[in-house]
Amino acid sequence: MRITRCLTLWLLLCALMLALLGSAQAQQDDPGKPLLEALASASYAAKSDAIDAIVASGDSRSRAWLEALNDGKLQQNKQTGQFVVVLANRGRNWPVEDALSGEPLGEMSRRELDRIGINNALRGQLRSTLAVLDLYVDNPDARLQAANDLLGQVDAGMVAPLEAVRDQEPSEAVQERLTEALAIYRLEQGDAQAIEALSGSLHPEARAALNGAAASDDPALAAQAKKALDGIEQTLKINRGFETLYFGLSLGSVLVLAAIGLAITFGVMGVINMAHGELIMLGAYTSWGMQQLLPGQPGLAVILSIPAGFLVAGLAGVAIERCVIQFLKGRPLETLLATFGVSLILQQLVRTLVSPLNRTVITPEWMSGSLVINDALSLTLNRLYVLGFALLVFAGLMLVMRRTRLGLEVRAVTQNRAMARSMGIRATRVDMLTFGLGAGVAGLAGVALAQLTNVGPNLGQSYIIDSFMVVVFGGVGNLWGTLVAGMSLGVINQVLEPWAGAVLAKIIVLVFIILFIQKRPRGLFPQKGRAAEG
Amino acid sequence: MNTSTPFYRWLAAALLSAGVTLPAQAQEDPIKVGILHSLSGTMAISESTLKDTMLMLIEQQNAAGGLLGRQLEPVVVDPASNWPLFAEKARELLAQEKVDVIFGNWTSVSRKSVLPVVEELNGLLFYPVQYEGEESSENVFYTGAAPNQQAIPAVNYLMNNVGVERWVLAGTDYVYPRTTNKILEAYLKGHGVADEDIMINYTPFGHSDWQNIVSDIKRFGSEGKKTAVVSTINGDANVPFYRELGNQGIDAADIPVVAFSVGEQELSGIDTAPLVGHLAAWNYFMSVDNDANYDFIDAWIDYTGDEMSVTNDPMEAHYIGFNMWLEAVRKAGTPDVDAVKDAIIGVTVPNLTGGYAAMMPNHHITKPVLIGEIQDNGQFSVVWETPSTVAGDAWSDYLEGSRDLISDWRKPMECGNYNVVEASCGGGVEAQ
Amino acid sequence: MSLSNTPSSSSPLSNLWLTRPFSERSTRIFLTVLALALAVVTVLHLALPAGHPLHVSSYTVTLLGKYLCYALLAVAVDLVWGYLGILSLGHGAFFALGGYAMGMYLMRQIGDRGVYGDPVLPDFMVFLNWDSLPWFWHGFDMAWFAFLMVMLAPGLLALLFGFLAFRSRVTGVYLSIITQALTFALMLAFFRNEMGFGGNNGLTDFRELLGFDLRSDATRLGLFLASGVALALGYVVCRGIVGSKLGRVCVASRDAEARVRFLGYRVERVQLCVFVVSAMLAGVAGSLYVPQVGIINPSEFSPLFSIEVVVWVALGGRGTLYGAVIGAILVNYAKTVFTGVMPDAWLFALGGLFVVVTVLLPKGIAGLMSRRRKADSETQLKEATP
Repeated sequence: MRITRCLTLWLLLCALMLALLGSAQAQQDDPGKPLLEALASASYAAKSDAIDAIVASGDSRSRAWLEALNDGKLQQNKQTGQFVVVLANRGRNWPVEDALSGEPLGEMSRRELDRIGINNALRGQLRSTLAVLDLYVDNPDARLQAANDLLGQVDAGMVAPLEAVRDQEPSEAVQERLTEALAIYRLEQGDAQAIEALSGSLHPEARAALNGAAASDDPALAAQAKKALDGIEQTLKINRGFETLYFGLSLGSVLVLAAIGLAITFGVMGVINMAHGELIMLGAYTSWGMQQLLPGQPGLAVILSIPAGFLVAGLAGVAIERCVIQFLKGRPLETLLATFGVSLILQQLVRTLVSPLNRTVITPEWMSGSLVINDALSLTLNRLYVLGFALLVFAGLMLVMRRTRLGLEVRAVTQNRAMARSMGIRATRVDMLTFGLGAGVAGLAGVALAQLTNVGPNLGQSYIIDSFMVVVFGGVGNLWGTLVAGMSLGVINQVLEPWAGAVLAKIIVLVFIILFIQKRPRGLFPQKGRAAEG
Repeated sequence: MNTSTPFYRWLAAALLSAGVTLPAQAQEDPIKVGILHSLSGTMAISESTLKDTMLMLIEQQNAAGGLLGRQLEPVVVDPASNWPLFAEKARELLAQEKVDVIFGNWTSVSRKSVLPVVEELNGLLFYPVQYEGEESSENVFYTGAAPNQQAIPAVNYLMNNVGVERWVLAGTDYVYPRTTNKILEAYLKGHGVADEDIMINYTPFGHSDWQNIVSDIKRFGSEGKKTAVVSTINGDANVPFYRELGNQGIDAADIPVVAFSVGEQELSGIDTAPLVGHLAAWNYFMSVDNDANYDFIDAWIDYTGDEMSVTNDPMEAHYIGFNMWLEAVRKAGTPDVDAVKDAIIGVTVPNLTGGYAAMMPNHHITKPVLIGEIQDNGQFSVVWETPSTVAGDAWSDYLEGSRDLISDWRKPMECGNYNVVEASCGGGVEAQ
Repeated sequence: MSLSNTPSSSSPLSNLWLTRPFSERSTRIFLTVLALALAVVTVLHLALPAGHPLHVSSYTVTLLGKYLCYALLAVAVDLVWGYLGILSLGHGAFFALGGYAMGMYLMRQIGDRGVYGDPVLPDFMVFLNWDSLPWFWHGFDMAWFAFLMVMLAPGLLALLFGFLAFRSRVTGVYLSIITQALTFALMLAFFRNEMGFGGNNGLTDFRELLGFDLRSDATRLGLFLASGVALALGYVVCRGIVGSKLGRVCVASRDAEARVRFLGYRVERVQLCVFVVSAMLAGVAGSLYVPQVGIINPSEFSPLFSIEVVVWVALGGRGTLYGAVIGAILVNYAKTVFTGVMPDAWLFALGGLFVVVTVLLPKGIAGLMSRRRKADSETQLKEATP
């Protein structure tokens, strides 16, 4: 019994050894081995040649190698010299596969592996190399991306093949891009004809080339380039205006999102809710937690964390209302004190339970990058989504307040509590739900902010003051006021920023709020009637 | 999650100390090590891991038999990211708890706040973070990088190896970025960079809306010359900054960003996929291929119980500082402050990058300078390093007022700001 | 409430508003307790040897001095919040301004002992290449000027701000939030290094005050006693205001502003007057705080600090003055203890304390103390009615 087990083990080991030897043997004979060995050399210049050699070899695996190299995942075993591709490189032990045969090799520890180094220069070279390869694929979007990557990267050897590709290219957009790429190359060589092809271009690489030409020794070329640049500058100015507006609206949407929950708990209920920031934080952590539950599916996680964030923060809000705030009826200023305590507890709770460090929230594919309007104006997607989300949340909240029974009851209770109660409305229940609603909306804000900023224990503190400013500036108790106030403060801030600097812009906005309140002591949209004398 | 582990460890430590070390304790009191790092407030995010690092190092040392046959006892306090509280807690550690040494602080202002207290009560402070220089105290040992150990080599790399001609110096508005940028500006102009090729920008702490600035940088970089951003942006502001960079499509191959305050720990809160290729300059990276480093990482992961926890440069600085202090105490045969102060100059201990760190007479240490590129797994890969270690310089050679100052705490000079031109020890700092 | 405290006896002295407080029981108790505490600490510090278990170390003396400064700040906040009904979330600004005025004086006293040895410019200015002293730093080398500015700078700011705000009848949360905006804007401004106040590092490395070495134990004790005296004076001034006719208009306008206006009072003037006094008291508190903690930096302007001050007052009991003192000392003592004893969990304890006290003790700790008295009088009333 024992002997057989021993034997089996021994046989197994032998088989394993053989397999390992076999794969090492296989690497020995593989034509790719010398190519990769050249890559592993120490000098970056030699590596650059090695990349060219790999491309020239026409090996079917070359693309996979270059991509692994680009990601820093092409590595070499220190002992055996075997080349491997690391599949996942977090933690201490990494799953790897053989770079040549593609066989999985189990896990190897960081200590055993040597990374084949790469720097930005090589990465640039790889990008254009891969781009040239991509020009031959079927997907037109990939071809356009490849053509984009080639702007400013064309060298003498690429001109002829690129021209050939361009003439066969079915897509007009790709063709234009390739023409531009070639024109940039020709302009760099001092060809004045190329200026015409570039004069309408807003792309930074085109401008860089024109700037280079404008500084050249040839006066005719310089003058022509300058003229083209002036034309571009005009268009750029208009684009810059739009850009600033977008920046302002985007900042505004963040302010609105952060403040809108407070507009309910503070504006409608009169609770000076210092824990509002921490409710936002809870939403953001929900977003992070959801991504931990659904690894590899950040998109789904973001979508699911919208209801989850609302629920988590909302329930926390209900708990706060039940445990603390309901005992403070008629003492609004003291809610400040109690909720300040709650905010300290929540912060430390997150520090103890999760970590004092920031957490990573991954941006899903469809939210990263920009929506390109033209080469000079592109709207960052994550902020665009947040802007849209803010408007949706606002619309949803208006709907709840105006069209549902809850909204009606909330308005009734805030306007005249005693009267509402005598009409049969359960005021304590309404209080609980209202606070839960405000807290839930704060949670939604957290889910959105997790895509823009740090997810950490201090997240809430950085938004609480701005939130109060927005609500008060807009007029307490008025949701429209919050929207207009948030958006206008955002735009003012971003318009001021380029010439005043970030700090001064913020100070000016604060002074503006102080002075504005002198003029209109009840905010942009003051509440009218009896409720105002609260 | 892992909250229960510290308790068990505490329990185990308590049982152990009760059972094993009681006889030793009966003979002599433990040597007290004060740990002055914020555990709450805005700086907790950076400083709390340094507290854990110190606790781990002390635990290891105790397991290895303590120091001079005595156990080490950590005394942890929380200055709560509040600067006056730092001074108060330092006083508490020195006057009430009577600790023999303090490891602590992160921000410049907290160090400035603690400095008079440490000098007055004659304590020892090991400060583990890269800082602006322009300071030298008899009682403080600077185990982080001075500007000449981080900023200048990084700029040299960009200038010579990457061919950068246009510079954006972006920083948070406080003294470290201000000084570093001033030094860099002087240095760049000295190397023929024109005024219009340098753009300087300051933002407040925790700045979260980078749209305009990043778009400015993009414009600045599209004028035909190779552009790089030198970032001294602090802590929390980095996440939104890098996010904006990624989303506005600023690629490291076009406009690389080299950061002096972004390490593995900061990156652990960022999705690094869009940031691959951006740079950082430090004296240590977790990815350094070295057995001492791997052992340290293993110990740290075992200590935290989190497979994904990372190490960073200030942790290495504490590792070096702690070992130097141990060595100096052994050399002096006593933890007495004055004896240790004299003994520690010249002490050399191994660092985690495969070399050695020596304590210089100006209370700074020698360090290698490494430039790393961000990888998609939140680590850096070293692309360049100085051929040998660089000694820290308390007074910068590139600043008007401090060019002529040197610091030497050995006898008989014992002066933190000796003016070589006037051949006199300047005012202040307990000059004798 | 303070109306009922006014003594009915009409001694000739009671016509002077500043002396009237002395005839009140609560004031006398407060002053006695404070004087006793100061005396006990002094004796324990000086008379007992350092090793003695009852010895009060200079560390503790400075700590207590800091609490007293906070207490004075809390009294200033209570004056406007408790009696005027203005919830100021920006009193930290006045405190910090007073602190900066003192800090500037202390910086100038360093003279050529800074690290660069410049006889006029403070270190941070040498370091940031300032050629000469900015205009607002002139005069701060003279103690009398600096001490004047300690009161004037916050006073003027309060005058300007209050004039604008009260004239246009900004009230309630709107007023609270713009006070918050004020201190937030000042914080951002002082963080800017171009302002010439040392940016984030603030002012530090002080050496001497009026010729006394700040690092000597005797000076520490002196500062502690000075803080105690300032607190006593501040308390008496506030009590005097509260007990005077002005104070009664204050309370009336707190409770029903519109009615007071209809009665012909210029409420905004009353508010402005008291607000300015309160700001000056906060400034004095700040000026005594700075030499004791050894640093002034823009984080004192942080809105969260101002909110915390309000929390002290609420915890101690709003509208009683002595409650503010109790609250400030208690919370800060708790903070000192908790941050040392349980560094990882002290925020739970502090936060929990705030919640529990608010929910269970609506009138704060002062309310707890007077509840017993009230209960006594109520039982007496009940016995008397049938």
